[in-house]
Amino acid sequence: MSTSTTDRVRIAPGPARQRGPRSGRTNRNPRAQGTARWVLSSPLILFLAVLVAYPIVNGVTSSLQNHTLLNPTPGWAGLSNYWEVLTDGSFWYSLVFTLGYTIVVTAFELVLGFALALFFDKAFPGKKVLLSALILPIMIAPALMGIMFRLMLSANIGVVPAALDAIGIHASLLSASSVIPMLVVLDIVQWTSFTFLIFHAALQSVPAELHEAAQLDRASKPRYVFSILLPLMMPTIFIAGFLRAIDGFRTFDVINVLTAGGPGIETTTLSIYVYKILAGGNFGLASAAAVLIALIMLPIIPFVIRRITKGATS
Amino acid sequence: MTQVAATTLRHRPKPKGWWRTAAVLVVALVINLPLLNAIFTSLKTDAAIGTSPFSVKGGFNFDHYAAVLGGSGYNFPGYLLNSAQLSIGTVILVMIVAIPASYAIVRTGFGGNWLLEAITSLRLVPAMFFAVPFFLIFSGLGIYDTVVGLILANTFMQLPLALLILCGTLRDVPAEVEEAAAIDGAGPYRSLFSVVLPLLAPGLVAVGILVFVFAWSDYLFAVILSSSGAVPVTVGAAFFVTSAGVQWGNLAAVTVISVIIPLCFAFIAQRYLVRGLSAGAIK
Repeated sequence: MSTSTTDRVRIAPGPARQRGPRSGRTNRNPRAQGTARWVLSSPLILFLAVLVAYPIVNGVTSSLQNHTLLNPTPGWAGLSNYWEVLTDGSFWYSLVFTLGYTIVVTAFELVLGFALALFFDKAFPGKKVLLSALILPIMIAPALMGIMFRLMLSANIGVVPAALDAIGIHASLLSASSVIPMLVVLDIVQWTSFTFLIFHAALQSVPAELHEAAQLDRASKPRYVFSILLPLMMPTIFIAGFLRAIDGFRTFDVINVLTAGGPGIETTTLSIYVYKILAGGNFGLASAAAVLIALIMLPIIPFVIRRITKGATS
Repeated sequence: MTQVAATTLRHRPKPKGWWRTAAVLVVALVINLPLLNAIFTSLKTDAAIGTSPFSVKGGFNFDHYAAVLGGSGYNFPGYLLNSAQLSIGTVILVMIVAIPASYAIVRTGFGGNWLLEAITSLRLVPAMFFAVPFFLIFSGLGIYDTVVGLILANTFMQLPLALLILCGTLRDVPAEVEEAAAIDGAGPYRSLFSVVLPLLAPGLVAVGILVFVFAWSDYLFAVILSSSGAVPVTVGAAFFVTSAGVQWGNLAAVTVISVIIPLCFAFIAQRYLVRGLSAGAIK
């Protein structure tokens, strides 16, 4: 089994592992185990204390202070920073823009990734090489991808505007009127690879007999996909959707490289909104905005976590 | 058993389907167009770039690569070195923290499921939430704009994925192996390093490559926690867009070099990578 999992990843519903942490323990020498668990986890505990617990406390504290670049010894400011963020129109614009952007790109990437994985799930020449090519964009730093998009879309030297020009479409791709659809397309170009990879791996674990049985029952191909495959893949679709949505929600790199949130605040995501405040030197206000964003995310996290950690916890 | 295998073989579509290859190839070309276009641009002469995207006037050469690696204008070799240091440093620190911790979590039941779930949820909180206090704390400690600061921030970022993969892999290693080692007198440390670690190798490779690639890709922490001395390629590349205009050829060369290095690692270990990415199902 362990050899087969190297190539065939079990993501879709598989048999739950029976072995829990209790039966997995080696209980030969309880006292050695007792100290070992603390010694072995001490780097983790230290790390969590210094780089998780302390920053959280620090972040919340400074969100309650009037801490700025020009005021390095801040006093308490109560909830005024939160009030300032919540009464700022551009915060609400960023929130709506980020949510809309997230929903649109996630929907497109799920549908396209699933369709591509389904299409890919047959034997054909060159399959291995093409798999490498299809998942390549995942390995590219989004910030560098942003620069490559710029090379491609630039009105001066870009191949895309030149090609559009040749067929009679004269569009400035990063202008105010077209920048948002453009960013959506770019996100889809890079991240459909990710949903494809997840679905591709999950399809590997769907037993071939299922399709054969459906064929014996004279189920049509669409019927098989929609009535059998889709329900079976639901947990995987859920996971892929949430992972993309979470990443979409905190989008920063590509948009900051391409537009820095502009023109105006038109493409300002929540992360860029916080970054602009931080770069402006108002640390208290930036902390308050960051805390608010984390609070927005908090309610959905437990749903996702259970599913992600399923394979790694008992 | 052989009969079943024979039947499924007969039902499997014959490996023809060149049209499918062609269709997938088109998709692959479209999603990799940004990289292909950057490579194409980086090899052209400035004159050709200025003329038209399709022009190949003056043929192809490596002049732009020579220029940026020679440090013309900006310290690109320095940014590359920073990226390499921060990525390798992050891999090492992640291993130091995650290997013993995953053993403690899986084999001694440390923290139950709760600890792993809590750490995984860190990955889902917007990084910006942590970037702000990191900036304040690191400035206070004097590690703002140092590679050490970036290593700490990236370790924080990559630790959940590493723990997830290592705990998953460790759970697949039968506990009987360690019980046998314990009977032979090996304590928990000895059995971790001499017995378990070699069996974890596939998971360790996956973690090493993924952490390297993702640390190399980091932009958010780099842009907030570095200004000059510790700038990695993801931030430094944009410096080639100057107020005096864009040095397109050099910008393309810088981007291609920065993208190709982690891609090489990814290709060497693609088998582990696909597994790690999808088993963790989290990037």
